[in-house]
Formats: sequence, C-alpha cells, structure tokens
Amino acid sequence: MNIFFRELKTNFKSLLIWGGIVMFFCFAGFEKFSAYYNNPELLVIINSMPKALLSAFDMNAFNLTTITGFFGVMFNFFALILSIAAAMWGSDIISKEERDKTVEFSLSLPVTRSKIITAKTLAAFVNCIGLLLITWGITLAATSKYQPDSEFYNFLSLGMLALFIMQTIFLSIGIFLGSAMKQYKRAGSLAVSILLGTYFFSVISGMSDKLEFLKYFSPFKYFDSARLLHESRLDMTFVWLSVAIIVVSLIGAYSTYSKRDLYI
Amino acid sequence: MNIYKQEFKMHFKSMVIWSLSIACLIFVYLAIYPSFAKDAELLNRVLSSFPKEFLIAFGMTDVDLSNIVGFYGLVFLFVQICLSIQAANYGFSLVSIEETELTADFLLAKPVRRTQILTSKLLAAITCLTITNIVVWISSFVFLNTYSGGKAIETKPIILLLLSIVIFQAFFFSVGMLISLLVKRIRSVTPYSMALAFGMYVLNAFGGMIGKETLEIISPFKHFEPNYIIKHSGYNFPMAWISVSAILISVVGSYVLYSKRNIRSAV
Repeated sequence: MNIFFRELKTNFKSLLIWGGIVMFFCFAGFEKFSAYYNNPELLVIINSMPKALLSAFDMNAFNLTTITGFFGVMFNFFALILSIAAAMWGSDIISKEERDKTVEFSLSLPVTRSKIITAKTLAAFVNCIGLLLITWGITLAATSKYQPDSEFYNFLSLGMLALFIMQTIFLSIGIFLGSAMKQYKRAGSLAVSILLGTYFFSVISGMSDKLEFLKYFSPFKYFDSARLLHESRLDMTFVWLSVAIIVVSLIGAYSTYSKRDLYI
Repeated sequence: MNIYKQEFKMHFKSMVIWSLSIACLIFVYLAIYPSFAKDAELLNRVLSSFPKEFLIAFGMTDVDLSNIVGFYGLVFLFVQICLSIQAANYGFSLVSIEETELTADFLLAKPVRRTQILTSKLLAAITCLTITNIVVWISSFVFLNTYSGGKAIETKPIILLLLSIVIFQAFFFSVGMLISLLVKRIRSVTPYSMALAFGMYVLNAFGGMIGKETLEIISPFKHFEPNYIIKHSGYNFPMAWISVSAILISVVGSYVLYSKRNIRSAV
C-alpha cells in the first residue's frame, strides 16, 4: 500500500503535465470548432465527399458542423495523446527504479515482487483514469455551451469507454516491456516503436480494403469513432481482443519480473 | 576527438536501428502503392469536382495520390515523424544523459572546455543523424524506382523533400537540447521526445484539418509539409525561416546555458 501511494505521489506531476496538454489541445480544438459550428454550406459539401478521401483524413462520416461530429474527430487525437501517456507511464513505472538506482532498495523491502508490480500497476492505472476523467471533464465543459443532445452524451461516454480500453492496452504493454526487458533503456524505446508502428498501421489500414486486416494489429483502429457513433456500441470482437492483450501482457509482466535479474 | 568517438559509438546502435526501421517503413508503404494506385485515380477525379475554397479549408488541395510522388508525400510524413523522434531523442539525451547516469563529474573533470565537450557531442550526434538521412535518401530512390510501375518519376519535388530532412532533424535536435538544458533534470528522455515530436505532429495534423493557421505555425511539420513541397516544387519560405531561426536560437542558447550549467553530481 505504501508503494502505491508513493507511486501516486511521484507520478502526480506527470499527470498534471499530461492533463495540461489535453487541456491545451481541447482549447485549441474548440477554438477552431467555433468557426465551423452550424455552417450549412460546408454541410452540403461534406456529405458529398468520397469515402476513401474522408477516411484517409479520419473524417469518415463526420459532420464537422455539429458538436457530435467534431468530437468524433477529436476522439482520434485524444486516443493518440492518452495512449502515449499510458505507454510512457507503463514502461517507466517499473524500469525507472533501475534507472534511478533505487531498485535494490525497493526490492529489499519485505514485500514480494509481484506485490510491487501490483502496487505499481494500480498506481499507473489510477493515473490513467485520472487523465481520462480530466479529458472527460474538459470536453463536457467545452461542449456545454453548444447544448448538445442526448445522442452526443451517449457517444461521449462510449468514446471515453473506448479510450479507457486503449489506455489499458498500452499501459499493460508498457508494464510488460518494463518488466521483461533486460535493459531498462529498451523498455521505453520499444514502447515508443510499438506505438508508432500501430499508429501507422491504423492510418494505412483505412485507405485500402486489402489492408484492412492490419486493423487487428492496431488498438487505434479497434474502436473506430464513426462506428461508435452510428452503431452506438463497442465491437465485441475487439473488446475481447483487447482483454486478451491486457491479460497476456500482465501475466507476462508478473512471470518475467519475478525471475528477473537486475540491471544495475 | 575522443569524446566524439565515444559519443559516436554510443549512438551507433540506435542509429542503425532507426535507419533500418525507417528504410523498412518506406519499403512497406511504397510496396503497397501498386495495389492502391487504381482507386487513387478515381479519387482524384472526384476530388477535382469540389470547390476550391473547401479543399483549402481542409488542406486537401495538394494531395495527388494517383501519382507515386504524391503518394510518397504521405509516406514522407511518417518518415518525418520517425526522424523527429530520433532527432529529439538525441537532442534531449545529449547532455542530460551524463547527469542521469552520474558520469557528468567524470566528463567535466577532463581537461577540455565545456564548449569543446558540447561541440564534440553535437558533431557526433549530427554525424549519426546524417547517416540516417543518407539511408532515407537511398531507400527512397531505390523503392520509388522499384514500385513506380515503369512510369518516369519527377525527381525535383523528391529531392526538395529529402533536402528538407536536414533542417527538420536539426530543429528537433536543437530544440530538444535547449529544453534539456532549460529544465533542472531529465529522468527519462522518451516522454520528452515523444511529447515534442508528437505534439508538433498533432498540432499540425489537427490544425491543417480545419480553419486558418494559428498555432501550427510553430510546427516544423507545417514548415515542411510534404504535400506543399510536392505541389509547388519549392519550400514554403517564410515558414521554413521559422524553423531555421528556431535552430539558430536553440544552438546558441544551448552553448550559453551549458557553459553556465550547475551540474548535479552523484550523492
């Protein structure tokens, strides 16, 4: 329990910084949105755009003149920001002990290694939830003046749920890398490359039918915001796939960390 | 010279990995182009029927995917993201790594001036970035020729794109270095470099999508937008100057800050 609180305290600043980034981003986004709100000329044109083009720009099925459509676009950027934060926290929280040369101290405490991972995972998890709540709160605050309808609120909560799953995926992958890599430096860079790779997959998989299979490799594509809006439910195949990824990486983290030789 | 060699050796492995993965990236994306080309022609025809104001608003005036050069512009954006992360990584870690690994006292006790240390480190990192740059040049031309489907390629925009890499790398490298000297200490480099590189990318991607230019003018992704360079066969000059001046300010600032820096030592 002490470890948990200690981790929360040390990560608090980082949470604030990421919260600031999200807030800044929201501010910039809604500033732009105000110019597009209820602009009927644009509406006509958007509806006649070709599908492939819109999907290449992540604007598929979105109508930027409404608050719902705008959030659908923002969703992709939120996904990117929150996933980066989660992957960073996950890969850092375990490997930082070795970087800061505090690992001998924390492992000599009378707790098992698996308890340490549990406490650290929970702390990072709470951080992720915190960032998600910040995102949620800011979005609600920024949208309230446009008087959104109930459809928007449904979409928003569904989107947040999807973001939450994405965060958890990247967090658990990060934690797994942090525990499994022999050298602490590799964990961070590997987490970055996985993130980059999956992001590129998500961009390219939307562009051609032949490449659609790539979406199974990219958590960014598991919950397409257009489908969230129109079907107003999460795709269960991908929910199970996400759960599987999370469980496998956490099991991997526990089993590798308990056998781990320290890099000092 | 010793510092240079040591630094080069330290960066060597990461440079090889980055260069190979960027080359792979170019290969994979250009290899799918032939299957994509047919749809793209159709797309282009539809696009041309839209009113111009609208396309400007959405930043889609300059996209021509029916041509491998236009498609390369898209691939180049991904290359830019990778390059920016690599350069930012090197920039952030250049001096801060000595402090996190507690080797700064050792290094600074050597009979060399701080400016000299910084210069050697800079040169070593620049060498590595340049090697990556060369790999990008070679792989771009090789794969472009392989997958162009026998059509002649317009080389001028491609050369312009590839030439912009130098400034692009220098921007992220020098800004990273400056930030690492501005803050008290950097525990881990990746969060910083990710935030810088992806921050700039998101800023431009989001800004380009709607509305007029506001914040994105600070982003090199805007200064060297591949689509713009391909369309106009030239740089977006007032924008490119922003990058260049940011580089100059950061480098000068880094020298000033580093020669005055208070080094946190072991214990």
